[in-house]
Amino acid sequence: MSDDPPPSTEATPRRTPRAAGKAVPIFSLGRVATIAASTVTQLVRMKTFYFLLAFALVVVAVGNFNIPATPAKELSMIKKVAFGTMDIFAWLFAIVATALLIPKDVEDRTLYTILSKPVRRVEYLLGKLCGVLGVIAVSLVAMYAICALVIYSRESLFVSAEYEAMVASAQYTAAEIEEQLSLIQQQGLRAELGIAVLASFFKAAVVAAVTIFLSTFASSSLFTIIVSILLFLIGHAHHMASSFWLHESENNMAVQMLVKVIKILIPNYQLFSFSEGIVQGEAVVAALVWQMGGLTAGYLVVFLLLSLLVFVDKEF
Amino acid sequence: MSDNAVEVKNLTKVFRPGLKKEYVVAVDNLSFEVRAGEVYGLIGPNGSGKSTTMKVVLGLMAANKGSAKVFGLDSGDIRARNEIGFLPENPYFYKHLSGAETLRFYGKLCGMKGRALQDRIAELLQLVELEGAANRRLGGYSKGMLQRIGLAQSLIQNPRLVILDEPTAGVDPVGSRQIRDLILRLRDEGYTVFLCSHLLEQVQEVCDRVGILFEGRMRREGTLDELIAIENQTSMTIENASPELIAEIQNLVRSHEGTRLVEEGHSRTSLESLFIQIAERGREGKS
Repeated sequence: MSDDPPPSTEATPRRTPRAAGKAVPIFSLGRVATIAASTVTQLVRMKTFYFLLAFALVVVAVGNFNIPATPAKELSMIKKVAFGTMDIFAWLFAIVATALLIPKDVEDRTLYTILSKPVRRVEYLLGKLCGVLGVIAVSLVAMYAICALVIYSRESLFVSAEYEAMVASAQYTAAEIEEQLSLIQQQGLRAELGIAVLASFFKAAVVAAVTIFLSTFASSSLFTIIVSILLFLIGHAHHMASSFWLHESENNMAVQMLVKVIKILIPNYQLFSFSEGIVQGEAVVAALVWQMGGLTAGYLVVFLLLSLLVFVDKEF
Repeated sequence: MSDNAVEVKNLTKVFRPGLKKEYVVAVDNLSFEVRAGEVYGLIGPNGSGKSTTMKVVLGLMAANKGSAKVFGLDSGDIRARNEIGFLPENPYFYKHLSGAETLRFYGKLCGMKGRALQDRIAELLQLVELEGAANRRLGGYSKGMLQRIGLAQSLIQNPRLVILDEPTAGVDPVGSRQIRDLILRLRDEGYTVFLCSHLLEQVQEVCDRVGILFEGRMRREGTLDELIAIENQTSMTIENASPELIAEIQNLVRSHEGTRLVEEGHSRTSLESLFIQIAERGREGKS
C-alpha cells in the first residue's frame, strides 16, 4: 500500500488564488544597478584582479632596471613602459572580461531566470556594461596606484641623489640645482598623469561596448575575444590604412564604399592615443579631454543601441 | 483582468535550424488555459514542444502565430513577468553567489529591498530547507539543492504563477519527493502552478489538470479523473479478506451476466515509495 497522499482530482480548485502583485516601473535604474553590482561581484570572484599582480611585477621590474641614461630620461622611460602596459592591460581586460559575461549567461541559462523576472533587455545590457566599466575603472586606479608608487620612489631617489651629488661637487649655484631637479621632477609623478589614465579608461570603455555588441550575437566567448581583438587592431590602423586605400582606389566605388563603411563601423582607437603625449610630459589640452569624453559617450550609446537591436528580439 | 492565469490561443512556433531551408514546427496551433489557483501539467515526450510553449509564455520567445497571455497581459509585457516565477530545467545560477545572495539578487531585480527582502529570503530558505546552506556558494550545492534554491528564487517576489520546467530532472527520489511536496504546498497556498514534465507519476500526484502534447499539438486535455478513469471498470481494495470471502466475491461477479473479473492480486507500493520508506527509515535510524 502506498503511503503517498491521494492525488488531487478536483476539476475546479477550491483554493483562493493569490492577489496581484505591485506595479512595475517601465525602466528601473535599481535593476540596472543590481545587474551591474552582480557583474562586479562575478568578475571579482572569478579572480580577474589577479592580472594586477602580473602588472605590478612588470612595473616593479621596469622600475628597477638600471638604464644608462640621465635620471630624467630614465624616469620618462619607466613612465612610458608602465603607462603603455597599463593601457594594454586595460583594453585586454575589457575584451576578456566582457566576452565572458553574456555568452556564459546564455550557456548556463542564467539569462532565462533573469529575463523571466521583470527586467528589460536594455536594463540587462546596460547593467552588464556598467559592471564591466566599474571593474575597469577600479583596475585602472589600482594600476595607476602601483605606477605612481614606483615612479614616486624612483623620482625621490633620483632627486636626492642628484641633489647630494650637485651639492657635494660645489660647482653649482642654488638656481642651477633647482633647475636640474625640476627637470627630473618634470618627468616624475605629476597630476596630469591622471588624464592619461582617463584616456586609457575611455579607450577600454569603447572596447568593452564593442565587445558587448559582438557578444549579443556571438556563439562563444572565444569567438567574441578573437573578433574584438581583431577589431581593436583594425581600429588602431584603419585611419592610416583607409587614407591609403581611398587614395589608391580613386575610381573603384566598391572599395571606396567598403573602406568608408569600415571607417564608420569600427571605432578609431588611434584617437585615444593622446595619452602618450601626456605621459611624455606634454601639456594637457582640456578641450581635447572633453572632446574625447564626448566621443567615448557617443560610441557607448551607439554600440549599446546596436547591441539592443540584436538582443531585443533574440530568442533563447 | 482575466480569471485565467495563462491563456494560450492558436500558438504556432516554427524554427529554421541553422541555415537550412526546411522548417521545424515546434508548436502547432496550440490552445489551452491554466486557471488561477490550479496545478496544470503539460506532459509529452522530449521534443514535443513543452519547453518552447513555456518560453513563449515567459516572453523569452515570440510566437509566429497566435498569442500567449498571463493574467490577461501579453506574455512579452514586463508587468506579466512580475506575476511569474520561473524555474528552468537544470538551472545554473551564478556559482560565485551563495544561496542567500542568489535570492537577494533576484529579489532586487523584482524591486524588493531592505527588511522585506531579508524576511522573504529567510522565509524561502526555510521553505526549501536550505537555511543551513544559505551562506555556502552554489558551486558546492548538490543537484537537489540547486533545484530547491531555484524554486525559492522563482517565488522571491511572491508571484501568482509559478512555471516549472522539468522540476525534478536529474534529482534523486528523495530530492524529487521534497520538490513534489513543495509543489503541493504551493498549491495549498493559492499559487497557480504550470509545470512541464515527462515524469508521469509525478504529474499524476500533483496536477489538477493535465494536457498531453505530442509533436507540438495538444492530443488530450482534462482533469486526471477524466483522463485516466476507465469508465466501465471498478476497483476495490479490501483489507484482511479471507480466501472464503474472495471466493464468494468471485462467484457473485460470475453470477451477473456481462460482468467479468479483470484482475485481482495484492496491492503494491510503487518503487519510488519503497525507496523513500527505506531512505527515511535509514535516516531515522541514524538520528
